[in-house]
Amino acid sequence: MAEKIQIIVPEAYPQMLNKSDAARAVLMLRAPETRAKAEAAARSYAAPMRAAILKYVSEMEQAGDDIAQIFAKVHEIRGFADTAGLFTTGRISKILCRYIDDMERIQRPMEPNLVMLHVAAIARAARAEEGDMATGEAVAAELAALVARRLEEAAGSR
Amino acid sequence: MSGVIFEKVKALIVEDNTHMRSLLRALLNALEITQIAEAAHGQSGLEVLRERKTDLVLCDMAMSPMDGIEFTRHVRNDKQSANPFVPIIMISGHTEKHRVEAARDAGITEFLAKPVTAQHLFSRVAEILERPRPFVRCPNYFGPDRRRRQTEGYCGPWRRKEDLQDVTVC
Repeated sequence: MAEKIQIIVPEAYPQMLNKSDAARAVLMLRAPETRAKAEAAARSYAAPMRAAILKYVSEMEQAGDDIAQIFAKVHEIRGFADTAGLFTTGRISKILCRYIDDMERIQRPMEPNLVMLHVAAIARAARAEEGDMATGEAVAAELAALVARRLEEAAGSR
Repeated sequence: MSGVIFEKVKALIVEDNTHMRSLLRALLNALEITQIAEAAHGQSGLEVLRERKTDLVLCDMAMSPMDGIEFTRHVRNDKQSANPFVPIIMISGHTEKHRVEAARDAGITEFLAKPVTAQHLFSRVAEILERPRPFVRCPNYFGPDRRRRQTEGYCGPWRRKEDLQDVTVC
């Protein structure tokens, strides 16, 4: 016997806006001036977010070999980095997040040296001046390739 | 373009990070959404929902003591839930497939990957307004229809044809 399924159409439950207002709202959401206003507002948060990232970087460095703590901090860094204009920092953070998350998911031991390499690269990128961006990008590309190889090896050895 | 369209919309931000809460508030303010409540985790988010009518929820995934997934399950399934249909946009840096699927299966409306940008947030809100999805209630799920695409002219086999006689549309 099949289970009962109930489908509730949008007209049968409360909506955020009525249909005519929703249509106007969509136009507003897609208007370049709305986006420009919001992006200007977001840019005003770049400086405090950069300060917050540097604080997270220090905490990440102080976490030692506590992977859970490192993951918590790098996750926050990854979430803010682009908004703060720290794109290389964000990119390396994303690579480390992926490595930790995938290794935990497939239940394989992590390489502490690989984690620490990322921690050092993130810290350096976050503290770097803009002139160091090219170096940071090259480091990020190397780390991404290294993590991809290690994940492939780990998955293959399960 | 006038912002009066959103002036009556009441939003709730459930996010443990004060910087991210400020950023999300600023983005909503750009739409002239000013009626914004904030909560630092899922438990306090549920309390806000009980006390205040809410039209839109922006929710982080990783929070303590109650994360965004558990929060969403409570909103959708609790008998005392103030608005089980409220749109929930889950915002997370955890974009791995299994985490996104867990959020979807909890009943979120939209998923937004960090880093948050105005363009991406607004596109999720537009999606909710432009294409509100039917809700599905079955024994192990209540929430927005998880199937995004309806293939017109589909002529393949009905994998669940026995279900059709048990579907109620209201």
